[in-house]
Amino acid sequence: MKEFEEIEKQEFLTKFSKSGSITAFRKLCSKVIKKSRCVFLDAEYKPFKCNSECDHIKLGKYLAKLKFDPSREYMIFKCSCNKICLSFPIMQGSNVYGHVLFIHLGKEPKKTAIDATKICMDLALKEFQKEQELNKLYETIRPRAIALSTIHTIHRLLSSTLNMDELIERIARLILQVMRSRHCSIMLLDESKKYLIPKAVINLDKEILKTDPQYKKIRLGVKLEGRVAKTGKSVLSRNSVCVPLVEEDIIGVISTRDKTNDASFDKFELEILITLAEQAVIAIKNAQMYEEQEKMAYGSIKTLAALLDAKSPNTFTHSDQFVRMVLAIAEEMRLSREDIVNLHYSALLPDTGKFNIPEEILKKPGILSAGEYDIIKKQHLESLKIIEHLEFLKPAMPIIKHHHEKYDGTGYPDGLKGSQIPIGARVMAVANAFEAMISVRPYKGSKKISISQAIKEVEKNKGTQFDPEVVGAFIEIAKKPEFKNIVEVSHEKHKKFI
Amino acid sequence: MKSIKSLFKNEAARKILLFFNENPNCIDTAKGISLWIGWDIDIIQKALDQLVKEGIITSHQAASTAAYAYTNNKEIVKKIEKYIKNI
Repeated sequence: MKEFEEIEKQEFLTKFSKSGSITAFRKLCSKVIKKSRCVFLDAEYKPFKCNSECDHIKLGKYLAKLKFDPSREYMIFKCSCNKICLSFPIMQGSNVYGHVLFIHLGKEPKKTAIDATKICMDLALKEFQKEQELNKLYETIRPRAIALSTIHTIHRLLSSTLNMDELIERIARLILQVMRSRHCSIMLLDESKKYLIPKAVINLDKEILKTDPQYKKIRLGVKLEGRVAKTGKSVLSRNSVCVPLVEEDIIGVISTRDKTNDASFDKFELEILITLAEQAVIAIKNAQMYEEQEKMAYGSIKTLAALLDAKSPNTFTHSDQFVRMVLAIAEEMRLSREDIVNLHYSALLPDTGKFNIPEEILKKPGILSAGEYDIIKKQHLESLKIIEHLEFLKPAMPIIKHHHEKYDGTGYPDGLKGSQIPIGARVMAVANAFEAMISVRPYKGSKKISISQAIKEVEKNKGTQFDPEVVGAFIEIAKKPEFKNIVEVSHEKHKKFI
Repeated sequence: MKSIKSLFKNEAARKILLFFNENPNCIDTAKGISLWIGWDIDIIQKALDQLVKEGIITSHQAASTAAYAYTNNKEIVKKIEKYIKNI
């Protein structure tokens, strides 16, 4: 215990002698007690950090004199070379941490100078105490504040996406970052609650493909992850940590292993992973709810499309390849996910606006009269009222409404031009025209044309009927090998965005 | 990648590397990092972009924000750690 106290006092003196406050103290004292040198002795009167002055003091016989009353405020004495020295104890409360000595003074200092020096010493000690407290705060509060900020940043990153695949991968990557580990996997329980399905497996050293055995489902209770999912208890080992994802019930597990610096995981890191898992659960549940909502919305649109189709087949809806084409252009143009979802909804109900248009006008071969064109424009807006009560379709309404607009402003219903036309509508216009050209429709005056001719026709109308940027994206898609799959009739649905 | 020595010549990059060497688990926005370092956000953002290009800082992009973190590359981290010890 005494040894510990000594070490503590030594540390105090080391820090104090190097502190900014002692530098200021030395400067002040050099004004008050002129022509002196300032040195330190420890609590046991041993020279502190030996240097030339201390060597000199070491030889003196006065050190023993100092010992007789350590609590006295100051002492004036003569050293071995018969020169005047002044000593102050460095005290905090009743503890003496050491002594500060002013050696080889020209003459005995006056009482006022000694008092002033004493005040300077007290101030220096107070300043040092403040410095120490600030350092302590810096060392304890700052890392926690940084950790808190990290958690907050992760929350922002996780709540900025509702796409499940994107979210799960993001969680895994963030865990690798925060845990400083090389491998992370996130598994969710399947509907039967008997198996864990790996949703993301990331290894910094190599890419893990979905065909890799690490993506195989794991039975509950089997392997580390299975056991954690079954018991709901986190497991910490030297090179791995596995925690459950709990939202009322267990919905999955997060496991990470192999620290980048080959160190062991500790309890603090387990706590961090548990905190991250709590955040991940909220984000995963939000994404799952959003997926459910999207499925419901998609189902409602499909029902509506089926009803419209039953009234007049192929009049209000388009083919699967039309939907695929619209989505392919949107992806090529790197539209936002929100834009793509709305475009998908619109592409499933593109011609709802035709609902109230008389069939003889809809199926009339050749050019329409001005009167018939007016009816189309008027009824187009009227018909859109069918879907206006579906809240989730509101963002898609402008696309459906304006996809007959032309880039040069000669389309309908509002004669919008250029960027006034919603981007989704500009995409639909190209896909719509292309589909019309390559398919046979009984009411069309012209026959269908080949795919290459249709592509040329689209390109020819770039800047007049169509947005050049959309046409550019369309041409890029047409060059790709998978273009054939897009235009070929298929019953495969676009599950990617639903 | 530029040499560690040349990266440390840029004062903002030096501050960022010292910060991440001390707090390797941190993930924060440019604004957050500039706050911890006590430097102007624009200068920090520029230095962060440069360090991302060099592969020393990882950027996590989201729709509304971008967050930055220390690389997980063991070799780079060791090199920087060694360099800092010798400063």
